[in-house]
Amino acid sequence: MFDLSYFFGVFPVIASKLQVTLSLTLTAAIFSIVIGVIIAVIGYYKICFLYPITRFYLSILRGTPLVAQLYFFYYGLARVSEIVLNMKPLTAVALVLSLNTGAFMSESIRGGLLSVDSGQKEAAAMLGMSELQTIKRIVLPQAFRVSLPSLFNDLINLLKATSLAFMLGVRDIMGQAKSEGAQSFRYFEIYLAVMIIYWILVLGFSHFHKIMDRKCMDMY
Amino acid sequence: MIEIRDLRKSFDGRTDILKDINITIKKGEIVAILGSSGTGKSTLLRCLNYLTKPTNGSIRIGTTSIDAKKHTKKDIMELRSHSAMVFQNYNLFKNKTAMENIIEALICINKKSKKDAQRIGLQLLEKVGMLDRKDFYPSKLSGGQQQRIGIARALAVEPEVLLFDEPTSALDPELVGEVLSTIQKVAQEGATMVLVTHEIMFARKIATRILFMAEGTIVADGTPEEILDFPKDERLKRFLDYNVN
Ligand SMILES: Nc1ncnc2c1ncn2[C@@H]1O[C@H](COP(=O)(O)OP(=O)(O)OP(=O)(O)O)[C@@H](O)[C@H]1O
Ligand SMILES: [Mg+2]
Repeated sequence: MFDLSYFFGVFPVIASKLQVTLSLTLTAAIFSIVIGVIIAVIGYYKICFLYPITRFYLSILRGTPLVAQLYFFYYGLARVSEIVLNMKPLTAVALVLSLNTGAFMSESIRGGLLSVDSGQKEAAAMLGMSELQTIKRIVLPQAFRVSLPSLFNDLINLLKATSLAFMLGVRDIMGQAKSEGAQSFRYFEIYLAVMIIYWILVLGFSHFHKIMDRKCMDMY
Repeated sequence: MIEIRDLRKSFDGRTDILKDINITIKKGEIVAILGSSGTGKSTLLRCLNYLTKPTNGSIRIGTTSIDAKKHTKKDIMELRSHSAMVFQNYNLFKNKTAMENIIEALICINKKSKKDAQRIGLQLLEKVGMLDRKDFYPSKLSGGQQQRIGIARALAVEPEVLLFDEPTSALDPELVGEVLSTIQKVAQEGATMVLVTHEIMFARKIATRILFMAEGTIVADGTPEEILDFPKDERLKRFLDYNVN
């Protein structure tokens, strides 16, 4: 039977790892955006030799399961790379998640970049602005605005994907739940708590998205 | 001020959209370009700031001369620094307010401080009668208002030559007047202008010279009286019959 007092007891224990999950999500999110912007801009300008490299990168990261990428990186590359061998699991997860989410975000941003009409770029060019100034000051801000819904989608997927970190032994929400379960076997209460915590987090992110969206709407 | 020599443009490598155009425009001239749709008016204008790259020929504006066959990115930048363009579809920066649109180049290119730029911005907003809309985004402005900001943005860089590509043809008829009177005001201040337009009456009023284009060449070139009152070329006569009556 459902043990209410156990549930209320274990909930804060699991939730105490919120910080690990959130900081992993935010760290990876920041790197993902940077990677996403760089790849999207390379794709936008089809920069000569970089472009095929990024296409290959996207194809691999979008075409293989995240779990396989985590294992390949952490266990596979450790056999050939001293750096990976000495890497903390949390760092490895953050890295792989950044590379993976970056690939998805680049597609979201690329869509936004393409939505900016060429007339504005011509206006910038006729004023004498360089391509770099144009992309930074005119194109990217508008692209972000257009990409916002799909970027938040990527962000929420990233949050959920951090739950795979336990597979490399990281003690995030999911990792903590797993170790509690190994002691008490009260899986129902434990994973119910996990579900609720992630669900609340996702609702929080969605709410934040709505606020940002409204702010953008007021602007232009 | 402007010298166009043997200008030729082909987009596909087979048909010439512009065919060996030679024009000299002096400082202070207000040149209107007329012609039917598809005769290469926009292409000619856009070659002047290399938004469209000519296939052949040379263009000089002010002190910068540039050859279609051999030039660098820097040459193009330099050429562009002598002119500014007003577009048919305004092409305002959608993520910037009216004021920010106007001062963008001042901050970005002329490296002016924000304060100096805004001082100039206010003067230009006043000139185009848009002071009360200075913090509005383009999406909140009417077409006529957007185009007046477009004109102010072009004036901000103090260009030696102003290029207009059908600045009123995307506007509702009742908004055309406000934009034309803004252009007229600028013309009266002694600017050098090249203006592609369908507004023949307006061309007569402000132009000091009219070019008539057909099939990628300039078939008539003269004062408004010569072109509009005593047309010689057959195509020009037909064009005027059709457009004035
Ligand atoms: N980027 C382009 N690629 C290919 N063809 C083009 C391009 N731009 C213009 N053309 C062609 O060049 C010709 C002249 O076009 P242009 O826009 O200069 O005409 P226009 O005189 O300005 O006409 P309108 O009065 O309709 O604006 C047209 O036949 C057009 O199809
Ligand atoms: Mg045109």
